[in-house]
This record gives sequence, C-alpha cells and structure tokens, in this order.
Amino acid sequence: MSFKEALNSGKFVVTAEVGPPKGTDIKEMVHHIHLLKDKVDALNVTDNQSAVMRICSLAVCKIVMENGAEPILQMTCRDRNRIGLQSDLLGAAVLGIKTVLCMTGDHVLAGDHKEAKPVYDLESVQLLKVVDGLNKGKDMSGNEMQGATDFYQGAVVTPESNPIEPQLAKFEKKIRAGANFFQTQAIYDIGAFGKFMGVARKHPVKVLAGLVILKSAGMANFLNKNVPGIRVPQELIDELKAAGKEKALETGMDIAARHIRRLKDEKICDGVHIMAIGMEDKVPVIMEKAGLL
Amino acid sequence: MIITRKKDRKILLDTVKEHKSFFLLGCSECASLCGTGGEPELKELKELLESEGKTVAGTFVAKTGCQVLGTKIELKGQKEVLDRVDAIIVMSCGAGTQSMVEVFESKAVYPSNDSMFLGNMTRLQFFDERCSLCGECILDKTGGICPVTACPKGILNGPCGGTKDGNCEISPEVKCAWVRIYERMAKLGQTEKFKETVIPPKNWSASIKPRKIVARPEAKEEKKK
Repeated sequence: MSFKEALNSGKFVVTAEVGPPKGTDIKEMVHHIHLLKDKVDALNVTDNQSAVMRICSLAVCKIVMENGAEPILQMTCRDRNRIGLQSDLLGAAVLGIKTVLCMTGDHVLAGDHKEAKPVYDLESVQLLKVVDGLNKGKDMSGNEMQGATDFYQGAVVTPESNPIEPQLAKFEKKIRAGANFFQTQAIYDIGAFGKFMGVARKHPVKVLAGLVILKSAGMANFLNKNVPGIRVPQELIDELKAAGKEKALETGMDIAARHIRRLKDEKICDGVHIMAIGMEDKVPVIMEKAGLL
Repeated sequence: MIITRKKDRKILLDTVKEHKSFFLLGCSECASLCGTGGEPELKELKELLESEGKTVAGTFVAKTGCQVLGTKIELKGQKEVLDRVDAIIVMSCGAGTQSMVEVFESKAVYPSNDSMFLGNMTRLQFFDERCSLCGECILDKTGGICPVTACPKGILNGPCGGTKDGNCEISPEVKCAWVRIYERMAKLGQTEKFKETVIPPKNWSASIKPRKIVARPEAKEEKKK
C-alpha cells in the first residue's frame, strides 16, 4: 500500500526520516533504510537540511526506492529558482517518486555555506501551486507539457508557532494551494496539539504529528531555548530529570511511545512523523512500545 | 536614501597608492546624512591622504552627486584643479562615483564608500532597509510592510517555521515581518484580507539590470528637433 493509499485508508500512518550524508559513503544511510523500510509507510528524504550541504534529496529518494521503501521528496526553495524546481520535479516524476513535501527551507545562514546566495524565487505556498499545475500538465508559465506529473503533495506546519494566527492563515493558504497532507514540527503537548487539530479537522487534509525523541532534560531545554516552534512542557522535562542520566533516553522513548498511543487511540491525527536525527535504530523500538508493530 | 558606509581606510589607501594628487568630491544629500561624504568626512580624508604624503588639490560637496548634468555644471569652477589631479575620490554612493566616471572620461575615479541599501533613517544615522526596489510593489497587499525586504527569505504568504516568540530566527532582535504584517492588517480590520490574499510568485524580470526609465518620453522628440 502506498503512502497516499495508507493515509486514505484511515490507517494510522508512520513516516520516518532519512538524512542524506555529506559525502559519497552511503553505507550507514542504506543501513537505516533497511532498518525502517518494513516498519514505516514512507521515508522522508531531507533537502540539504538546516542548509547544510549534503547529497541531494532526489538521488537519495531513488536509493530509497531501490532499497524497497517509499520516499517522500522534501523540496525547499532555498537553492533553486523556479526553473530548477520544476525541472527537478519532472525528474522526480520520471524516477517514480510519488510524494513531495513542499517547504520554503531553512535560511543559508543556518547552515555551513553562509556566504551562499539564498534563492527563494518561490516559497512553500507558491511551490505547492506549482506542483498542482504540473499535476494538471502545465508549467508555471502556462506551457502545456508532454505528460503531466501525478504527485501527492504535502507541506509542513508549526502548531506551536507563537503567535499562532498568521501561522494558521498560512496553513489554510497551503491547503488552498493543493496540500493534501501535513507533517508538523515536533510537538510535545498533546492537549495543545489537539486544539490545533480542531482547526485542521475543518479541512480535508491529513495530518502527521512530528515527533523528535527527547534524549535528556538538557536536550529538552535546548529545544525550548533555541528551536523556533518547539515547546517541551515542564512536566516532561521534570520526568526526564527524575529518570536520571542512565534512564533519560529510555524515558524519552517512553514519552514518544505514550504520545503516539494517545494520538492514535484518541484519533487526534492521522499518523506520526518520527524525526530520529541519528537515532534511527530507536524508531522500531518506539513503534513497538507504542503497539504499532 | 542610499545608505553608504566608509570603506576601510587602509584598503582605500592601498587602492589609490599609485596616485599622488587628488580631488575629493562629497555629496550634500544621502552621503552627508550617512556621515560618509559631507564636509567633515572630506576634511578627515584630506588630512589622512596628506599624512600619507599625498596632495589634495581640491574638495567639493556636490549638491546631488547622482545628478550627472547638475554636478557637471557645479564643477565648472573647479576645472583647473580637476584637470591637474591624478585622480578623483568620490565620497558618496556608487551612483555618484559613476557620475564622475561619465563626466571625466580619462581621469581615474575611485569610491571611498560601499553602497549598502535604500534605507530609512529612524534616528540620526540609524538606518533600516525597508524597500528592495523590486520593481513590482506589493505594499498594497501587505499592510504597507514589505516582506520582500523585511523577511530574510522574502516570503510572500505568511511566516515560516522560524518565528520564535514573534521574532525572526535569522535576526532574533528583529520582529518577524509576517507577524508585523498580521498585526498591522488586524489593526486596519483586514484580517480576512490577510487570510485570503495569496501573493503569486514575483516577476523578477521587473528588476533585470541595468534598468532605465525615461519619465519624459517627449524628450526624445525634443532631441530630434
């Protein structure tokens, strides 16, 4: 069952992430793909995440497919103009990539090539419209193409954004621009996320809650202080602290599993997107704890 | 106005080291307000050059250095000095420098400043960039605040995920352009407009360089006559 079919079947969907490496040694990455391919519904392939130069998302999506998993092509607008983006989308289509996640992309100043020229010829809402156009057989200039794409396109949203009103307005613009599904920034407060879902449920879109495994109270504090749009509630930080250094990671995994269970049992959203960030081997463990395997 | 910043003086001195005598030209408009090309700065550079054994044969503050004809006329009285010097150092913006390049075809002309941006002065010599001269103004759609300029990504349809407590991830001391736009439009009772307006991709062909405008089309006819 494809990712799109899984979402539309009403199954609680799980996606995880493959981070392409910097360099041509892909052994570890391929190992991660094998670790996850039979457990999750699709694997997101990040696009020079955090503006750090790595193997391109398109090539790694192909490798994901060759290794028996379904990729979600993450596309940012940071590094390519509208010609490059459309051209890569057509390339993705002929390689058999079905799902694309449209994002504006972290600024070059966040990455390891700070002197690069940021492109941003388009941004996420506009890119979604472009994908919709390509699906209808037309490029951005309105030219008829020889053969249309057939992408299932999605986008991202930050439910904990502060203030929330402009973020929600953009969320709705993305839906009108053609987004079928959303993967969210990491969420830790299920009650607050439920409120966001109250808004999201008014629209015909699927939502996968973003999860990032907490390794320690220190990491939780770091996220709160430094990462926009992430808020770890104090009670979770206390829980990690109480667990002590030895048990902190185990507790973090328990928290993730507990959240997944609640999201699924209470039908709060349509699935989860687990961003392991180097802890790919823990994803199956968490899924098992959550009763998904 | 055009915001300029003084070039590092060591680099400037190195750039002009082959020349012995100079004429310094400032500008009474933007560069004077920026503190980069008014009387005090001309005096300062004159003294620096002289301390390096150079001659400054003349100085002048043009009224509007980017106005080619006007500046050419203003400088008529300085002709003898200008003919004599090895080089002209222009202490305004890149436009002012190139006015001199046009007027003095066979004289070396150097800039003393870097031209930074089109800016608003918020306090004396505090400058903010608010307009990118994109050639396709969208302020009517954004509550009068320009996201092309105020957002580091130039996003046209709402805040990115990098908003932290209303501020920008890239410049944490700066408020997110889209939060500002939202608040301003809310004050104007335009919340619905904020939600409904989808700004299409920009037409960057409106800013392909070099741009040229003749705002007086009849002038071409005058010339023919």
